[in-house]
Amino acid sequence: MVFIFGINFNEASLVKRSLESFYGIGPKVSQRIMARFHIHPWAKVGTLKNTTVMDLTAELSNMKIENDLRREVQDNIRRLRDMGSYRGRRHAMGLPVRGQRTRTQITTARRLNKIERGGTGRIQM
Amino acid sequence: MPSPICLRSLSQLSLDRAANVSITSRTLLAPQTACFSTSAARYAAPPSKRKGMVAPPKRGERTLNVKKGRKAPSADTGKRPAPGDRKAMRKRIVLTNDNALEVSSLKDLDKATALSEKNEGQVRGLPEQVVDALRAVEAFKTTQGWSLFRRPATLMRKETIQLAKLLKEVEDPVDGQQKKTLRRVLSGDRMSGKSTLLLQGLAMAFLRDWVVINLPEAQDITNAHTDYAPLPSSQTQQYTQDTYTATLLSQILKANLKFLEATPVTTNPPLPLPLPAKPTLKHLAELGIANPEASWPVFVALWQELTQPGHPPIMLAIDGLSHIMRNSEYLSADVKPIHAHDLTLIRHFVDHLSGAKPLPNGGIVLAATSQSNAPTSPALDYCVQVAEAMQSHPDNIPHWNPYKNVDQRAMDVLKDLLVPGSGGAKGLDVIRVGGLSKQEARSIMEYYAESGMLRAKVDDGFVSEKWSLAGMGNIGELERVSVRLRI
Repeated sequence: MVFIFGINFNEASLVKRSLESFYGIGPKVSQRIMARFHIHPWAKVGTLKNTTVMDLTAELSNMKIENDLRREVQDNIRRLRDMGSYRGRRHAMGLPVRGQRTRTQITTARRLNKIERGGTGRIQM
Repeated sequence: MPSPICLRSLSQLSLDRAANVSITSRTLLAPQTACFSTSAARYAAPPSKRKGMVAPPKRGERTLNVKKGRKAPSADTGKRPAPGDRKAMRKRIVLTNDNALEVSSLKDLDKATALSEKNEGQVRGLPEQVVDALRAVEAFKTTQGWSLFRRPATLMRKETIQLAKLLKEVEDPVDGQQKKTLRRVLSGDRMSGKSTLLLQGLAMAFLRDWVVINLPEAQDITNAHTDYAPLPSSQTQQYTQDTYTATLLSQILKANLKFLEATPVTTNPPLPLPLPAKPTLKHLAELGIANPEASWPVFVALWQELTQPGHPPIMLAIDGLSHIMRNSEYLSADVKPIHAHDLTLIRHFVDHLSGAKPLPNGGIVLAATSQSNAPTSPALDYCVQVAEAMQSHPDNIPHWNPYKNVDQRAMDVLKDLLVPGSGGAKGLDVIRVGGLSKQEARSIMEYYAESGMLRAKVDDGFVSEKWSLAGMGNIGELERVSVRLRI
């Protein structure tokens, strides 16, 4: 078990996958982080040296990820709603925001377009 | 207010059920309760549903499900293989077949006759210690047909003899000058036996007590499946691969154990870790194997030892050349692809292939191309085409296609291939692995027949038929049509 950024990861899991489990880190960002510390794409968490794990944690703590990022996104949406803008209202109603049609196929919008976007995270906000 | 008669009849209903059969049959299904009390029924466990009874689907719900992936969890109770088992199975090398017959006429190669030209067109067995060494350097491939025969044996074809001549040339230079470094690229069609020719070269080198260093698969070095780290104090940034280098050291040690055990360390290499007292090269290699983070300095030190005067010639080989003539899958710190030539091991090989560094004790640098697992490398393809053309029809040399991207570093390494002249003069040349001649085909088919794997009378007509079927004697196809394919 290895702690990266306060989260416990199984030693057999891929570093890439572990990084991408954080909210705000996708394929590109994880690739950039791993290249920066010379971790090959197929590295397992268990093979990382202690210093590398510390570096990773330090790097992650400098980035806006997880709850900070969630809060920012939610604040942006909340601002729209509080202004009473169209986009804010659409968010509040859970409907498409950018002028898509609503006759059919708005499941994605229903899932995503809400004030509390991004959920509450592994560590409660 | 209800009449008292009515109340009494209701109470009697439940009390003497037996008296009234028609009502009883209906009420028996319901839980037995006292009259006007619902508590027992409320606290009772809910009645179990009958199995197989599913509520009818709601309106508008889709009931026909024909998609493949959406099935209910099937009863897949099969045991999964342990981690690593599948890979071990995939990479397993089988070199014997107990069902094949022992070929009585099969002679082994030995040290004295390994390079003899009399072997041409004959099938020769590989002695046991050579097989072990070849196995150690991973020269056998899973795609080759070793598992069909009683023990490993190879056909000494025309190209093999050509290679044997090169070995002889290195061992005793004709004009008594300094030792030669010969560099060859093996090219040819798919399944024409390039990897096998490489294996034969390694086998002959083992027999002649050379030091053999083989990079079994170039793809494994460049496809970013092993760890890497920047090499400190390198002008253009280079990268070491510690785990891979440690594995390579262990292969070198296993394959050349006799020589490494007997040779003491003479130089005083700068190593991050101390060597034991009176060290031999074996101790040096073991140091790198035990400490992968020191494996690259150890490899450099070992190479320096091997190139001390008086040591045997070196055979340096790689399979899958086009993988190292392009960017590797690794990324640098600023997320740019790392060129394969910036990996230290590849750089080491490429320096010797290009002739930038000679082998002081002589030796051969062999690089086999591949046709089935080859990423595009226009520079390599062009250089090989030109070199082949200069051998066969020097008046018609192909031109570079200006619409293709040139990898200048790859081109610089292979530029000796573009120099007109004989292979011996410039050092780097192509060995074109073509089809077998009919005599060679006959000889190998007789070996198939004697092994019991080919049940037919091997005569001229049969040989010609199979030779043609195999695309003018492509040996892989020949094996396929005569041994593997049974109609």
